[in-house]
Amino acid sequence: MSHKQVVMAGTDTRDLTKLAEYEAVGGYASLAKARTLGPEQITNELMASELRGRGGAFFPTGRKWSFVPSPEQNPNPHYLVINADESEPGSFKDNEIISRVPHRFIEGCLITAHAVLAKHVYVYIRGEYLGPYEILVAALEELKQRPDLRGDVTIVVHRGAGAYICGEETALLDSLEGKRGQPRTKPPFPAIAGLYASPTVVNNVETIATVPAIVEMGGAEYAKLGVPNSRGTRLISVSGHVERGGNYEVEPGISLKDLIFAPELGGGVPGGRAVKAVIPGGSSTVILTGDELDVGYDFDSLLAKNTAMGSAGVIVLDERVCMVQLGIRVSEFYEHESCGKCTPCREGTRWMTQILRKLEAGEATERELDLLLSVCDRINGKCLCPLGDTAAMAIASYVAKFRDEFVAHLDGGACPCGDHSPLDGVLAPVAQHIHDHASELVPA
Amino acid sequence: MGVALFEKIQEIRAIYPEGTQSALLPALRLAQEEYGWLSPDALREVADALDVTPAVCKSVASFYDQFHLEPVGEHLVEVCTNVSCALYGAQQVLEAFQDELGCRAGETSDDGKVTLSTIECLGGCGWGTIVAVDHHYRTGVKPEDAAAIVKELS
Amino acid sequence: MTDHVTLTIDERTVTVPKGTGLVETAQAAGIEIPVFCYEPRLGPPVGACRMCLVEIEGMPKLQAGCTLTAQEGMVVRTARTSPLASEGQNSTLEFILVNHPLDCPVCDKGGECPLQDLTFRYGPGNTRMTFDKRTQEKPIPLSPTIALDRERCILCYRCTRFSESVSEDNDLVPLNRGANTVIGTFEDQPYRSRFSGNVVELCPVGALTSTQYRFEARPWDIQESPSVCGLCPVGCNISATTREGKVKRIQSRNHPQIDEGWLCDKGRFTYGHLTAADRIKTPLLKGEAGFEPLEWDDALDQAETLLRAGGDTVVTAFSGTESTEQAYALGRLLRAGLGANGAVLPEEIPTALDAYRAPLSSIRDATTIVILTRDLVADRAPIVDLWVKAARRNGATILTEIPEEKLEDAVLISDNAAHAAWLAQDIDAKSAFYLPRTPNGRGVADAWSAAGDGEASNEEPRVVIVSGDDAAADPAVRALAAGADFVIGIGLFQESFEGLADLVLPATSYLERDGTTVNLEGRVQRQRRAVIAPCPDELAWISKLAERFEVEVSPHASLAFEEISGRIYGGVSFAEIGEQAPLPPAAEKGAPVPAPKPVQVPVADGLRVIRYRPLFSGPVVDRVPEVEFQKADHEVGMNPADARERGVIDGDMVTVNSRGNFHRFKARIVRDLPAGTVRLSTYAEGDLTEFVAVRK
Ligand SMILES: Cc1cc2nc3c(=O)[nH]c(=O)nc-3n(C[C@H](O)[C@H](O)[C@H](O)COP(=O)(O)O)c2cc1C
Ligand code: SF4
Ligand code: FES
Repeated sequence: MSHKQVVMAGTDTRDLTKLAEYEAVGGYASLAKARTLGPEQITNELMASELRGRGGAFFPTGRKWSFVPSPEQNPNPHYLVINADESEPGSFKDNEIISRVPHRFIEGCLITAHAVLAKHVYVYIRGEYLGPYEILVAALEELKQRPDLRGDVTIVVHRGAGAYICGEETALLDSLEGKRGQPRTKPPFPAIAGLYASPTVVNNVETIATVPAIVEMGGAEYAKLGVPNSRGTRLISVSGHVERGGNYEVEPGISLKDLIFAPELGGGVPGGRAVKAVIPGGSSTVILTGDELDVGYDFDSLLAKNTAMGSAGVIVLDERVCMVQLGIRVSEFYEHESCGKCTPCREGTRWMTQILRKLEAGEATERELDLLLSVCDRINGKCLCPLGDTAAMAIASYVAKFRDEFVAHLDGGACPCGDHSPLDGVLAPVAQHIHDHASELVPA
Repeated sequence: MGVALFEKIQEIRAIYPEGTQSALLPALRLAQEEYGWLSPDALREVADALDVTPAVCKSVASFYDQFHLEPVGEHLVEVCTNVSCALYGAQQVLEAFQDELGCRAGETSDDGKVTLSTIECLGGCGWGTIVAVDHHYRTGVKPEDAAAIVKELS
Repeated sequence: MTDHVTLTIDERTVTVPKGTGLVETAQAAGIEIPVFCYEPRLGPPVGACRMCLVEIEGMPKLQAGCTLTAQEGMVVRTARTSPLASEGQNSTLEFILVNHPLDCPVCDKGGECPLQDLTFRYGPGNTRMTFDKRTQEKPIPLSPTIALDRERCILCYRCTRFSESVSEDNDLVPLNRGANTVIGTFEDQPYRSRFSGNVVELCPVGALTSTQYRFEARPWDIQESPSVCGLCPVGCNISATTREGKVKRIQSRNHPQIDEGWLCDKGRFTYGHLTAADRIKTPLLKGEAGFEPLEWDDALDQAETLLRAGGDTVVTAFSGTESTEQAYALGRLLRAGLGANGAVLPEEIPTALDAYRAPLSSIRDATTIVILTRDLVADRAPIVDLWVKAARRNGATILTEIPEEKLEDAVLISDNAAHAAWLAQDIDAKSAFYLPRTPNGRGVADAWSAAGDGEASNEEPRVVIVSGDDAAADPAVRALAAGADFVIGIGLFQESFEGLADLVLPATSYLERDGTTVNLEGRVQRQRRAVIAPCPDELAWISKLAERFEVEVSPHASLAFEEISGRIYGGVSFAEIGEQAPLPPAAEKGAPVPAPKPVQVPVADGLRVIRYRPLFSGPVVDRVPEVEFQKADHEVGMNPADARERGVIDGDMVTVNSRGNFHRFKARIVRDLPAGTVRLSTYAEGDLTEFVAVRK
């Protein structure tokens, strides 16, 4: 099967990191076209395309742009901020986009800047992405020689410094302002008061890298791809127990099973082992069991299963994986990444980990299993930002869907997976982070 | 000492709108590159160059994983142990590095050369195990690759 | 009513002005939305603690009520009527308590702790936490005056937001991330800020407590006395907590026009001077081997003899720390009884300034502020600095030079009364604040003029009365006293008068007396006796002494005030002043004020030394060891550019020298300082001349 490529188009045959190569495949033509259109027309095309944000929240992009006030309403400079913080476990698509089609991404930035009346673009790239950063900077160097393309727009690449929460858009803005990256309360939304309290549009890398294609083919044409509510293509990151881990650009609606098993996609599970579970959209989404793979990979179909595409990170877990260990590893991640601003997330994620560890040690009782669910329930829906909420939902889903396995761990019980679980051993990583500066300050 | 860093920080500062503190993260990164870690004196220098207090610098630096408030080795080996990499066997990779370096994760080798650490998802999940060697990713690392990587660094 | 909105909270309909926060709106409807992190004085809400969760019709998730404003037609349900909100608040409290030590029995906050109260009202009845709680070293000194108990901290960020957005010192910060977050300072240095003590009052739990108050009292065995601070001309409204006749702490008593509920550390932490070792409790007479105590009758005899010897040449030097009534009583005794009209008054304030009178809170809304002071505003009138900072955050322009053109919108702040009176007219300022040097210099001047008239004698004074410890420390007063035959001192501390006075009569502190003071706005405020002084009240013995000169002086502050008020304050009574004193309206603009002579600024090589009186200085501060660390006597303030030129950064040790005298100081970068100058405390080494060199 061949899949329609929009974002990654042309990469099979050419090295599109080079400006000349990119132009050779029609690159920057959309920018030229966009500049003949008014900002409103472009926004309208985006609305027609039904493009929704690829960062996780799935908000309609055209609508987001339409919230930006006119200069008469708000004379402050407008900013375009690109979210390249990609830190959701299971997601690595933005890494590949920046590394392989930096110019398409830059073209998207320039078109969007035109559409939202921004002269300043900040690309907030996670600090660990040194490789992609260098490629992007090199591409921007090339652009420096081309005022015809650049126009009067400046693009600044701003590196994060290791904090998952800075992917949340308002935390990102605080971080970009040189502060601790903690989410802000909304309202006001960034479109009204974002970076430096000015109107700001925040979009994901993939969202922006899609914009040139939409301008080129027209919104209506783009909206023919995919399925209702999930239009166009998406780069899906497939990892874990598959033969061919990688990013695959496909039209939503494809079945999850195909994503995992099709020979040109995931290529199946190594050793022919059975799929025990799949995390469908990055570690903050509700897990699916091996019996739930006959589901379309799109917003509506996944919603019907109470889960989401999120940032499109599909993690495949084979039959050997202990779900309690998975719970600890995931819970520990969120505990480590909780920014510490709001109470339920800060305290609740820590408590979840504590209970899960006791469970794994075989020292918990049924009451503590119920306590775990109750803690999840008490975090969910009470937090300042979705980090805590989704972490709690994810953990609760492991218990709900694999309750028997959790119960087997109770009262001195043992893991049905024996010691074959590939997660065995990785359960103290947070304590092994060198940046665990707090350890000195805060004795356990 | 100090003057060059001050000047470099002023250059970064000029990139961002006046009156903002946006240059803080890049400035901390610069200082860390210069001194290897963010010592109290390094933080004071950054504070001075940006017209903020050392307390603010420390507050911000201590929020982010990539800033070192304690000395680290000349080189940094960071093994991703988040879910996907763990499924590929990150633990075995980590153990191989521990054996090669003779130190545990979170510690620095005796010769002070290499600091070994686990790290949360590096964003290369499909290509695991990911090991960041001085911030450059190595993909598909297997336990048996540890020896060669350590050799490169010595 | 387009500027109002009507909404429903727990089935009650309430109408409030547009923009009113939901917490306040609920309050207006008689409903509580409980909060921890919400504190509007700290800037926009942060929505951190999640205590205020409420259900809003049409919104799927619970909302943090503190972050919302009332909207037309909104339907709000709090824990009273919404099981969801109730569950939400219960959850928040459970999470707050999972790692809270629950050491209420030994916690100073116990009994007046919002966490205790809200847990009682909204929280879980038992704990489901079975793991070891996070433990930390505790308490650790945040400074010599504040103890930090990190286990009790609920991370509401009130303290750090105060440091960031009110005092703007940015020295108290959150460190680390997530569950490891703690509050702290850079490298555990003491939290040193003129306003640090406010965080103790802001902290909703017992995480930040006062070391002075630690284990001293329980909320049910203390009394509160509403009064007014007597340590600087701002006159912050305070509440003095006493137990068994002793002051145990000073807290703010929010006067929204004066202090907005903030106090400086001098006002909050120096009440220990009341029990200073050298406190004067009985009259003292100079003898062979220093002062000797004297019976009161003998003391009054001595005083009478000395005063008669002085006759109309007696000159009285005031400190400006006296109550208006005390100054008036002395004035009556001397002016009516002896015809001694000579006085050294701490302040002379032109009445022309009364036309520019405004409440301090109006500074916050200024668009332009002209600040012409030699001392930093914060050293002279600390709270004024907070108002200026609030204005700057609101976008006000701050000018530190005399403006060339008229500035009708400008607020003028000056430490030179005559100059201010002229400049306010010249630029047509909206309001003007003169910052007196002393707490009640205005009241003392008022009292002196109300007490009588007549010219001072031209003769050399044979007797000088030194009223107050500050006057005793003033070199000019000491020089005057040196020329007199006899010196009578009135003061708190024996050391102030050693080698200066022949007879010393004990004085009361502002916390020990009833009376009034006039603050820098010109607002007459009441001070109340919180504790009994270790000596009789000044009014009592002045009244007795006055009898001997056939002058009637009331020993009661209320009657003395009535007399003064009848003469100069339009007859307002104590009752009209009330607990939160009103500000008299601005006077009509008067005749033009002549321009004062310009001051010549000398120039020479090196950096010019500006000597200043730091906030933490003076006889009261000297007697409280806990605030020693706040003193700036070992610091040199430098302009950022001057510092950079010399490779100096804040906190470095530097050598300051002039004409062969070398001294080591800690460098402090002071942004408001003009280039080419350095600031040194008047109490710092005196052998440095006016121009110095500084190097690292
Ligand atoms: C905890 C958390 C982490 C997030 N991380 C990312 C991220 O790494 N990259 C991203 O694009 N969006 C991330 N998001 C979503 C952003 O908040 C925001 O919705 C997105 O950047 C908007 O761009 P889009 O509309 O183009 O998707 C995150 C959200 C949350 C709550
Ligand atoms: S110390 Fe007190 S005021 Fe500061 S964050 Fe903790 S609980 Fe809040
Ligand atoms: S009071 Fe609303 S979140 Fe703290």
